[in-house]
Amino acid sequence: MKTLILGLGNPILSDDGVGNRIAQELGNRISSQDITVEETSMSGLSLLDLLVGYDRAIIVDAIQTTNGKAGQIYRLTPEAFNDTRHASSPHDVNFATALELGHRIGMPMPGQITIYAVEVADTSNFSEKCTPKVRKAIPKCVNMILSELNENH
Amino acid sequence: MASCKATDAVFHVDPPPAGKKLREAFYCAHYIHSHIAHFYALAAPDFVMGPTSDPAQRNILGVISKVGLQIGGEVIKHRAYAQSIQASIAGKATHPVGGVPGGMSKPITEEQRKDFEEKAKSCVEFSKFSLKLFNDVVLSNKDYLNLITGPIYTMKSYYMGMVDSNNKVNFYEGDIRVVDPEGKEVAKFKPAQYLEYIAEHTEPWSYLKLPFLKKVGWKGFVEGKDSGIYRVSPLARLNVADGMATPLAQAEYDKLFKTLGGKPAHATLAFHWARLVELLYASERLLELCKDKEITDPKVRTIPTATPDEGVGIVEAPRGTLIHHYQTDKNGILTKANLIVATAHNYPAMQMSIKKAAQGLIKKTKDVQEGLLNMVEMAFRAYDPCSACATHTLPGQMPLEVVIYNSRGEVIETLSQNLR
Repeated sequence: MKTLILGLGNPILSDDGVGNRIAQELGNRISSQDITVEETSMSGLSLLDLLVGYDRAIIVDAIQTTNGKAGQIYRLTPEAFNDTRHASSPHDVNFATALELGHRIGMPMPGQITIYAVEVADTSNFSEKCTPKVRKAIPKCVNMILSELNENH
Repeated sequence: MASCKATDAVFHVDPPPAGKKLREAFYCAHYIHSHIAHFYALAAPDFVMGPTSDPAQRNILGVISKVGLQIGGEVIKHRAYAQSIQASIAGKATHPVGGVPGGMSKPITEEQRKDFEEKAKSCVEFSKFSLKLFNDVVLSNKDYLNLITGPIYTMKSYYMGMVDSNNKVNFYEGDIRVVDPEGKEVAKFKPAQYLEYIAEHTEPWSYLKLPFLKKVGWKGFVEGKDSGIYRVSPLARLNVADGMATPLAQAEYDKLFKTLGGKPAHATLAFHWARLVELLYASERLLELCKDKEITDPKVRTIPTATPDEGVGIVEAPRGTLIHHYQTDKNGILTKANLIVATAHNYPAMQMSIKKAAQGLIKKTKDVQEGLLNMVEMAFRAYDPCSACATHTLPGQMPLEVVIYNSRGEVIETLSQNLR
């Protein structure tokens, strides 16, 4: 199964770069030719360009929820982001809309998309390091993704 | 790109022709992807689906359902073309790493040039199609044309933008020209002189500053010639220029001002139309640059030799004039930076456009619906604002509240979305 692991985030904005860090770690540990590991700071429609042509995608990103605790890891599906069709940014469409658009216009989108989201504490200060609790979650999330890859291999 | 130009100035170095051409080609590609995304994902839903239509349909998915799935594919394809050119020239489309003081970090090959040329040709055709779509869907609809030219979304202000030596629109290099609400040139200056012309007002309720024309002065949130409030945007660029530097965009420029009743045009919703004229210009200019064999010249950088100190770089970002001003120590380490981004330039005007739309739309006898919020949003969506850039806050939402008072100052209704 042709698989993309895609870490999203800004690597110089503290915890926002947690997806990048996890992707880098996975890139160091995965040698399968069927699995591509990438990281990007893009969002919205630009993600479509990266997702096309894969059977499966595992997206890793930072998340902030109302009562979440830094370092918590969530395993989600795209449907979890389906609650609104309002624009969430004045510049681009949201993730769910971009995926739906890709499907509707017949782009070869991955049949299976899983999102690993790490609850973060700081996405406002410039730093190449995550905060301690988020840093601790990185190896945990890496192992969760490796297990999922092994189970479905 | 403003940063590249500011560091050129800091290091007192001028890039060689191929370096400048590569930068401009990269920048045209950036415009293409940005203007396509804004028009199809953010502006078109209001016109194709209707400003008060069901919000569940008023988005890019609704647009492509109505105008055709094939067009959705073309939107994605041409955005991707533009981004692939950016990535090919400068390493990455977002957060590119190709610009260095004195030019670019690497040249392009003949093979890359040919690839860009084919993609640019396709972008020209797609831009022409987008203007035709705007003509068919928006301009042919009397209600929409009245909405664009009517008083609710009209604001008389000064305009600012970059022009080349022939006073034609230029995104990358030139002088900054300012015209008054009647279209008369009142200033033309070099980037390094910007502090002689622009000052910034502050208000206790906002930590985003409010720029104004120094020589006219801050007179509060008022329109007209006596107020130093100015606007930057695609329409502002067209207003300050004498025309476009490419033939197809020039024809569309002429049509825009003819339809809107002459220059300058004050219709805020016409920012969207001007954006499409610029999409065509960016595509034509990209094609011109890609046909120029000098763009593959391996000399793309002039190595700096002077001691760095201070410099200003200005470009036209897709949403308006972007100013970067740096001071450094003798090792080139930044000691001070001042940025005025497009959303900041437009901040005073955006406040007024929102107020005007709300006051024009809310009538005593009118039943207030969700569509009203959207029509107020339309007043500031036209500016393509980036509040995250302008304020360094990252809410990830579009909080909005409309409070309706009666003549006694009592709150009679409140509509809101995404308030925390």
